[in-house]
Amino acid sequence: MLAAAQRGDAEAYRLFLTSIVPFARAVARRRAVSDAAVDDIVQDALVTVHRVRHTYQPGRPVKPWLRAIVERRSIDALRRHGRVARREVSNPVAYETYADPQANREDAASSAATLARMTEGLSPGQKEAIELVKLKELSLAEASALSGQSVASLKVNVHRAIKKMRANFRDREG
Amino acid sequence: MTARRVDTLIDELVTEARPVTPLAPPGRRAFAWLVAIAAVGAIAVYARSDPGSVLERYSGREIQLALELAAMLATGVLAIVGAFMMSIPGASRRWLAAPLPPFAAWLILSGLGCYADLVRRGPTGLELGESWECLLFILATSAVLAAPLIWRLSRARPIDPQPVALLGGLGIAALSAFVLIFFHPFTVTFLDLAMHLAAIAVVVAAMGLFGRRTLASA
Repeated sequence: MLAAAQRGDAEAYRLFLTSIVPFARAVARRRAVSDAAVDDIVQDALVTVHRVRHTYQPGRPVKPWLRAIVERRSIDALRRHGRVARREVSNPVAYETYADPQANREDAASSAATLARMTEGLSPGQKEAIELVKLKELSLAEASALSGQSVASLKVNVHRAIKKMRANFRDREG
Repeated sequence: MTARRVDTLIDELVTEARPVTPLAPPGRRAFAWLVAIAAVGAIAVYARSDPGSVLERYSGREIQLALELAAMLATGVLAIVGAFMMSIPGASRRWLAAPLPPFAAWLILSGLGCYADLVRRGPTGLELGESWECLLFILATSAVLAAPLIWRLSRARPIDPQPVALLGGLGIAALSAFVLIFFHPFTVTFLDLAMHLAAIAVVVAAMGLFGRRTLASA
């Protein structure tokens, strides 16, 4: 599958990435300090697989190659965790400006305005795709059922919407 | 929530994926690099050194010279091959230890040579020869070799660049010391040997620091 993905077969690549998630999770779980860390390691490993997929030699076993990547990312995560634990103290209250939780929601209005500016120019389909898949974090299947858009068009709409929003953001900053 | 994040990530990776050309096996890539460097090194030695004077200096100790050269070359070659091997995920960590036996043999043989020189020449065998030039030679040659080596190693985007950079550093330092023998105008004393080792340590440390950063950002 990976050899086909190297040649540009997108479906083989999707199948490969999806099929390695359980294996990556199992390898990560042996070293990770928490379930959340396992998820971060798996995602980090997927990105690394994507970055170094040209180093896989077709015909050779894929598991040792993949295990090395996940273990490396696990070690990196452990080191990061160690550094953070040594230097930082978690104090969620420090993020609050006012004691009354409702009072801290003042910024919500400006955040909504920023979001509205960034989504300017998106088609209704793109807006809906972004809202369901990215803001509400629904799965593609759930978003498809709710919106009536096919999974493929949802993906295309999300991709185009993000490009457009990036351009909007750059225009605003520039 | 997590499954959704992974699904979304996979979608993004698939969307931006382009066809890639698989890298050649690391052994073959290391061989190609070594052959190219050997060709340049051979031209430099042929054009600039005087092999006759090298043999004259080591007269009566030709076997020791041959063993010393073989140990240096083996150290350099095994370290370079190890660097290429370890730039690929899944390589054995044993490659880290591969150049150590010939490196130890090189030190022992050089040490014995220095000792023989000390016995033959008396206290002058302890003097510092033109060691600064040797140190500069190893540093300069290593710097020249480092650029093409880092360029070739970075093609693999090593996931753990530290051992790759350290092995690469030992490899280019050992190969530089190997070439140095053909330009060495005197037999090696203990202090000269110490300077050679200091130069190798500087090269390995520099590669461990700067080479690792370059490889990590590849």
